[in-house]
Amino acid sequence: MELLAQLLANTLQIGAVYVLFALGLTLIFGVMKVVNFAHGEFFSLAALIVAASMPLLPAAFPSWLNYLVALAAAIAAVAVLGAIIYRIGFERYLRDLVGSFILSVGLILLLQGIMTEIFTASPRPVDAIVTGNVTVLGARITAQRLLIMALALLFTGLLYVVLQRTRLGKALRAASEDREAAMLQGIRYRTISLYGWLIGVSMAGLAGALMAPLSPIQPAIGADYLIKAFIIIIVGGLGSIPGAIVGGLLVAAIESVCGFYFDLTIATIFMFVLVMAFLLVRPQGLMGHVER
Amino acid sequence: MHEIWGVAGLVAIALGLSLMLSDSYALKVVTWLSLNVLAAIALRFVMLVGELNIATAAFWGVGAYTAAIATVWLKLPFGVALVAGIVAPALLAVAFGFVTLRTKGPYFMLISFAFTEVLRLVYTQSDALGGNSGMIGVYPPRWLDGTYASLVVLLVGACLVGFLWLERSAFGKLMRAIENNDAVVASVGVPVLAIKIAALTIAAAAAGLGGGLFAHANRVISPGDFSFLVSVYALAYVKIGGEKHILGAVLGATFLTLLGQYVLSFGQYEHIYFGGAIVAAMLIFPEGMLGLLQRWGARLGLVRAPEPATSRGGH
Repeated sequence: MELLAQLLANTLQIGAVYVLFALGLTLIFGVMKVVNFAHGEFFSLAALIVAASMPLLPAAFPSWLNYLVALAAAIAAVAVLGAIIYRIGFERYLRDLVGSFILSVGLILLLQGIMTEIFTASPRPVDAIVTGNVTVLGARITAQRLLIMALALLFTGLLYVVLQRTRLGKALRAASEDREAAMLQGIRYRTISLYGWLIGVSMAGLAGALMAPLSPIQPAIGADYLIKAFIIIIVGGLGSIPGAIVGGLLVAAIESVCGFYFDLTIATIFMFVLVMAFLLVRPQGLMGHVER
Repeated sequence: MHEIWGVAGLVAIALGLSLMLSDSYALKVVTWLSLNVLAAIALRFVMLVGELNIATAAFWGVGAYTAAIATVWLKLPFGVALVAGIVAPALLAVAFGFVTLRTKGPYFMLISFAFTEVLRLVYTQSDALGGNSGMIGVYPPRWLDGTYASLVVLLVGACLVGFLWLERSAFGKLMRAIENNDAVVASVGVPVLAIKIAALTIAAAAAGLGGGLFAHANRVISPGDFSFLVSVYALAYVKIGGEKHILGAVLGATFLTLLGQYVLSFGQYEHIYFGGAIVAAMLIFPEGMLGLLQRWGARLGLVRAPEPATSRGGH
């Protein structure tokens, strides 16, 4: 029972981060019809900014306050960089899969090279934000993990509400569903796709900022998340919001269980084999509908 | 037909030039350059059916490991090792294609990316394949001392001519038709999935040959040599050279490889420089160098102006 609770807690915690990351990717694809291979770099950037700025903030303040400041700064930096990259590059490659792919992998190399220059390649740990352990349903979890999990779930829920209830969310979903019909309803496609992109990369940044206190961060870490996000998206269906949530939790569950009994690399290989078997049965993904 | 003979003539000239070289550094550059051309045309071949095959890197790796196992462990003759390195990825491609090519839109691209990275993880996990440090001692036979680069030029040139011939054949026309509208092609009774699998298999065989040649040129292989970046560089060659004609891939590979030789002298800035070159090229000349040359030619009244670059996918 205790093991089960432990695995469940672990699943929810990494799952929430995966969901945030994959939601950003799927949102960008939905609106822009672009697969952002540089998504992991926004994750790394935010994580690195949190890791590098935490020691610089005044020690007199409580560390949770410092963390929130660092988190806000990291997301602001990601959003500004995202806006620049959109204006210079992606705006010209909307709905162009191959062109945007090359642009985004060029960005992987460029951003990773620059981040390695600035932050160096050595892993950066972050001091604990809150200390102590909490026992939930017989499972002992560090208070820090519980806090991060709560934050991740909160932000996922917030995004979900924004997408489902607000005008912006409806416009984003309409533009994903059918660009022409959305434009006929007076939705400005270019403006909406910029918003979709900014929300998407901020999600990646948020996921990175939330992971920073939990595992040592180095510039290449984004790539690991990218493979898992692809697996999530293949299973959940590209552009599908519920698909990203279900897929994210599924991948996290496999990783928790498989990682507990074997190791994380085996878990990733196992996940891929499962995806291949799954594709044999349902080529359109779990939630995806058949295109055309 | 003239076009194919023309390209074959270019290959013959390149082969003749490579035989005249004796400087070991120059021979090395010729080898890398030819292998880059092979990776680029293997990637481009699957683009003809409208799919971006990032698993080119994976098939390259399978070819390299298979050929290395044949040479190092089994002590088989070099020719047999190369053939094994062609057959193994081709068989793998049939199975991989059967599962993945039924998907629509960008899924194939994502799965081929994941496949490449997962295969790399498999190599690192396998103690038999040397784990993270890989395999050493993949020597080419003695009789190829000094002429290995020319052999690479010959084989890559043969692939180049073969791919061009296939592209101009009835099979190539079907591939193009599938890229334009696979539903229409399927509606007249053409087995679309089978043609896509065939294209993937042929490209995987060529990539496997490239991997085998790479392993014997480098003498050492490790999982890091076969990350998705192999496909990214190949795609950069195709796009920067110009994807409309197979010679665009040759042009792009030549330009970026020679640039790369220069950039390597900067050491650690390699990533920044290469990434910057790709991003800049995408923003400045999206139709590639061939498109740029064609535009200049059109201005001088020599050739027709290029059509604007077409976007693909994401209907």
